[in-house]
Amino acid sequence: MKRSRVITTALVFALGAGVVAFAPLPGASVKPANRRFRVEASSFKYAPATIKANVGDHVTIDLVSTDVVHGLYVDGYDVSVTADPGRTASLSFVANRAGMFRLRCSVTCGAMHPFMLGKLHVGRNDLLWRALALALLAGLVGVSLAPMRGVRT
Amino acid sequence: MRAEWGARLLVVLGAVGLAVLTVFAVRVPADAVELRGRMADDGGWTPGAIMARVGEPLTLRMTSDDVVHGFAIGQSARPAVDLLPGAWITTTVTFDQPGKYTYYCTRWCGPNHWRMRGTIDVAGPGMRAPADSVPLFLRLKLDLDQAHPSDVVPTETPAAARADGLLAAVALESGDLRTQSPVQVWRTLRKRPANTGLTDRQLWDEVAAVWRAATSPERLAEGRRLYGDNCAACHGETGRGDGVMAKSLAAGPAANSMVGEHTGMPGMSGHGTVAPTDFTNRRNMLGASAAFLQGKIIRGGMGTGMPYWGPIFTESQLWALVDYLWTFQFDYGSSAGSSAASRTKRDSASKPATRPH
Repeated sequence: MKRSRVITTALVFALGAGVVAFAPLPGASVKPANRRFRVEASSFKYAPATIKANVGDHVTIDLVSTDVVHGLYVDGYDVSVTADPGRTASLSFVANRAGMFRLRCSVTCGAMHPFMLGKLHVGRNDLLWRALALALLAGLVGVSLAPMRGVRT
Repeated sequence: MRAEWGARLLVVLGAVGLAVLTVFAVRVPADAVELRGRMADDGGWTPGAIMARVGEPLTLRMTSDDVVHGFAIGQSARPAVDLLPGAWITTTVTFDQPGKYTYYCTRWCGPNHWRMRGTIDVAGPGMRAPADSVPLFLRLKLDLDQAHPSDVVPTETPAAARADGLLAAVALESGDLRTQSPVQVWRTLRKRPANTGLTDRQLWDEVAAVWRAATSPERLAEGRRLYGDNCAACHGETGRGDGVMAKSLAAGPAANSMVGEHTGMPGMSGHGTVAPTDFTNRRNMLGASAAFLQGKIIRGGMGTGMPYWGPIFTESQLWALVDYLWTFQFDYGSSAGSSAASRTKRDSASKPATRPH
């Protein structure tokens, strides 16, 4: 009897986990917009370091270098731009891939150049929310099964 | 025993082979001059002076030790070469006239970028061609440090398109335009009895038309390119004196000086800095003549942080640059093609991406 209850609980939670991990979320149907960001690059940081867009947005980044020649490369999109001080350079692309992507400096700009990073967030961070929900579910499994094990011993 | 001798022979052959390979692998032109670029604060060019002889090719093997730099020789048509950290690039220059040449950094590498200059002394037979004619500001004996406010200023940007241009010919008759400030020409036009029917604003539009007639779209494009490469970092892309380096210049005297801070008397050392000139300021600009502006560019600011460009730009480049500066005052219309208002930004999205490394 108890054994079958454990199996039932496990099955229910497994199903729940499947739903949490793979169920299509109601997409926030936002109309694609034109987004323009002005990003100032100095040794060795971007300001702002984080930019956000919705999936489908037409993103334009105006890169302004304030000391030496800097670049900006967007991981995942494979686009880049280089800006000299005094010459604002623009980078345009359609943010059609959801997720978090690294911005990196693409021009060697000094000793700390490899650590000149930024972030591009496209859309809602589904992965994070799903992971959180799964963790919660795992916790519930633990709580609901633990007393039964206690009974058995 | 024979095996041992064979092994010894193998070792000796290996060592000799390695030595020979090394010599071939790192073969560099024997007479190449190794030139390293560093930010001016860290030493600039090494070496800072190079000797050469007329007619003999000078091979330069160059690299950068920190950030992206560029190499070009002043007053020469030779295109600039980019120096990337970690990469060597070799170029050969041949001089056909003796003299002193300036090489300089062409990519902005910090507030002291312009200090990154060196000289090539070219010795040899022959006369140096007569130097470019004495600059106009010297022939006119202009005092470049004198204030030059315009006592009359228009209330809006004068537009060449609004003028009928009939007065342009008249104004041109009154002598070399480059020696006159816009306000002087405006006064000349104002004094003519024939113009009493025209308003002040209409006359300013005529002045804009006069100035537009004295340049060409090609020269404006050239001036715009030079301005973007050399001036915009301080004077701003829109000419307002608000470029990305302006903050550090306005920070006060000796903020960026390499000498002033040690003397403790920045004002006396001539190494202080002031905020870059705002080219959209009507009172200031309309009172200046082209010869005056050219003089400022050639000589530099003397204690303001403005570099001297005399050894860098050719005469025609200087005039093209001055021509472009007037677009911050006058609206030349779209026909001029390169007015400051109609500037477009470089869009590099279509270029292949440069991966970070």
